[in-house]
Amino acid sequence: MSLFFMNLLNGLSLGMLLFLISIGLTIIFGVLGVLNFAHGSLYMLGAYFCFQSVSLFHNFWLALLISPLLVAVLGGIIEMSILRPVYGRDVSFQLLLTFGVLLVLDDAVRLIWGSGYHIVNPPALLNGVVHVAGFTYPVYSLFILGLGPLIGVGLWAFFRLTLWGKKIRAASMDREMAAGIGINVNRLFTGVFFFGTWLAGMGGALATPLRAIGPSMGEKIIIESFIVVVIGGLGSFPGAFLGAIILGLINAYGAEYLPRMTMALPYILLALILLTKPRGLLAREV
Amino acid sequence: MKGKQMFKRGMIFFTAFAMVFSLIGIAHAKKPIKIGAVYIMSGFAATYGKFAKNGLTLAVEEINKSGGILGRPLKVSFEDSRAKPPVALRAFRKFVYEDKVDVLVGLDSSGVAKSVVPALTELKTPLIITHAATPDVTGKQCNKYAFRVSANLSQNVQVAAHIAAKTGARKWTTIGPDYAFGHQSWEYFQKYLKALNPKATFMTTTAFPKIATEDYTPYITTIMNAKPDGVLISLWSGDLINFIRQAKKLGFFKAKFKVLMTLGAATEVLYALKDQMPTGIWVGTRYWFLANHSPVNKRFIKAYKKKYHVYPSYNAQNAYAAAYVLKAAYEKAGKVDKEALVKALEGLTVDVPVGKITIRAGDHQALLDVSWGKTAADPKYPIRILKPIVTFKGSEITPKVSETGCKRK
Repeated sequence: MSLFFMNLLNGLSLGMLLFLISIGLTIIFGVLGVLNFAHGSLYMLGAYFCFQSVSLFHNFWLALLISPLLVAVLGGIIEMSILRPVYGRDVSFQLLLTFGVLLVLDDAVRLIWGSGYHIVNPPALLNGVVHVAGFTYPVYSLFILGLGPLIGVGLWAFFRLTLWGKKIRAASMDREMAAGIGINVNRLFTGVFFFGTWLAGMGGALATPLRAIGPSMGEKIIIESFIVVVIGGLGSFPGAFLGAIILGLINAYGAEYLPRMTMALPYILLALILLTKPRGLLAREV
Repeated sequence: MKGKQMFKRGMIFFTAFAMVFSLIGIAHAKKPIKIGAVYIMSGFAATYGKFAKNGLTLAVEEINKSGGILGRPLKVSFEDSRAKPPVALRAFRKFVYEDKVDVLVGLDSSGVAKSVVPALTELKTPLIITHAATPDVTGKQCNKYAFRVSANLSQNVQVAAHIAAKTGARKWTTIGPDYAFGHQSWEYFQKYLKALNPKATFMTTTAFPKIATEDYTPYITTIMNAKPDGVLISLWSGDLINFIRQAKKLGFFKAKFKVLMTLGAATEVLYALKDQMPTGIWVGTRYWFLANHSPVNKRFIKAYKKKYHVYPSYNAQNAYAAAYVLKAAYEKAGKVDKEALVKALEGLTVDVPVGKITIRAGDHQALLDVSWGKTAADPKYPIRILKPIVTFKGSEITPKVSETGCKRK
């Protein structure tokens, strides 16, 4: 029973981290219609920036503030300089472009920080462990567990209740109409891309106390994020939340009950969803 | 008069001729010995390729500075295997058929090694394996051209079994990567430990997370919940770093069971974790820089530290050793020739940093000392070191050629 409970915690905290990363992916897709392959690399960049800031300033919270911002600035530049010119063209242009960005970022990271591994310690406040049901459990994982829903609710409120949120939703529904009623769509798109990549950078920075920082950490996360958003429904907010929790729990309970199957489980689920509900569990109404 | 002039012209002609020829001769003697090296240079295990490149580059520089091999300098080119068998094979073919290299060096992944080694009989070029540890390439897959100068999985796990037997722990389980390496480590461990301690039992609850898993917590809690007496961990590099950090938080290293990590003493792991690496844990590696104090080892550590500012990893040593093994072999053969090199390598003993290694003629596996130790803190070093260190002789931990499955002769 205690193991069941532990794996519930494991699955949920993994799910929340996945949620933070996939939500950026899904926002960018939902609003801009761009499937951003470089999202995982931006996540990785967030982790490296966080590692660099922590080694410079010895303050995790400061690093958590700075590194996602730096990633987001880079995201904004990417959107303005290379994505904007291809909005009118075929989708494959965007896919190729973001894939190109992925390759450039991956190699840049290796050039700058080398191919070795680095770690970042959790801040002193969250470095401890709590005793649950005969196990010890890291406080930092509980922190992630709590942070996920908070950010989720915050984003939901932003999109539903604020004027900016409404403008963004309007632009995502009909770009030309939004421009027609006086919304500066270009600036809005840059803002959304900035924000989406900020979330990726945030995910990367938040992951550093849990995971080793190394080259290609972005490749692993982008696959998981894609599964999350496809399960939940591309562009759907609650969908990303649901998808992330499902994938987190599959990983946790898979390891306990079907250890020989864990590699295949997410893909089996993905195939099932695509067969039965190809638009995802909580697809946006069109 | 005429005769004299003819003689004079003849002399000039002859001298010019001789000069041209001697120039060609000099040029010939200076022609480099070409090494084609294939390692993982990109992706999650890129750090291995980097270490191998460091080690090999250092050795080649040293050898060239002291006059090369048989008067010829060494020239090494690197290709990225991307940990993929077809990519590695393509790189080897390019090296042999286009670049006309004299010898091949490399390979990190056992999976790659297993698919490339059979092709060597077609390439007719010797390959010195410096990392890939599957026993099969010097076992049932062995062939004339495949050599290995590094410790293989069975040698390393044999030491693990000796240590496991000494701990007295009876009920064992494992956490290892879900591919040949993880499963073979567990299989050999069971075989060897059963022979040393017939009372040992092996649990059915094991954990084989897929390679490059980021979150190990479900596996850790499952294994802890199974209450074993001992756990063999064969995760490596980035996976091992992730595992150790997450396991530490869950109280894994404070639990009652013994923990053995077959590649826990790899320097990339120790450098990444620094004081986060738990102490008092048995860890293995394929070369530990403080395991012996031979002049060759001391010189290597000093040169490596000076050039790269860190202590050498096992993969750097292995690649470094390969260059000196080649030097010894070519000098024994007295010429640079592929078939002669194969002959010279068989039975050759070379003094390299890890110790004196002997390449067995039967299966081409090097007999070498394997060291394990318990992790300990030492203010003199930026990383955890091993204290105490236990070293097993190659002859004690290597199965006989007849038991390896190698049927070359």
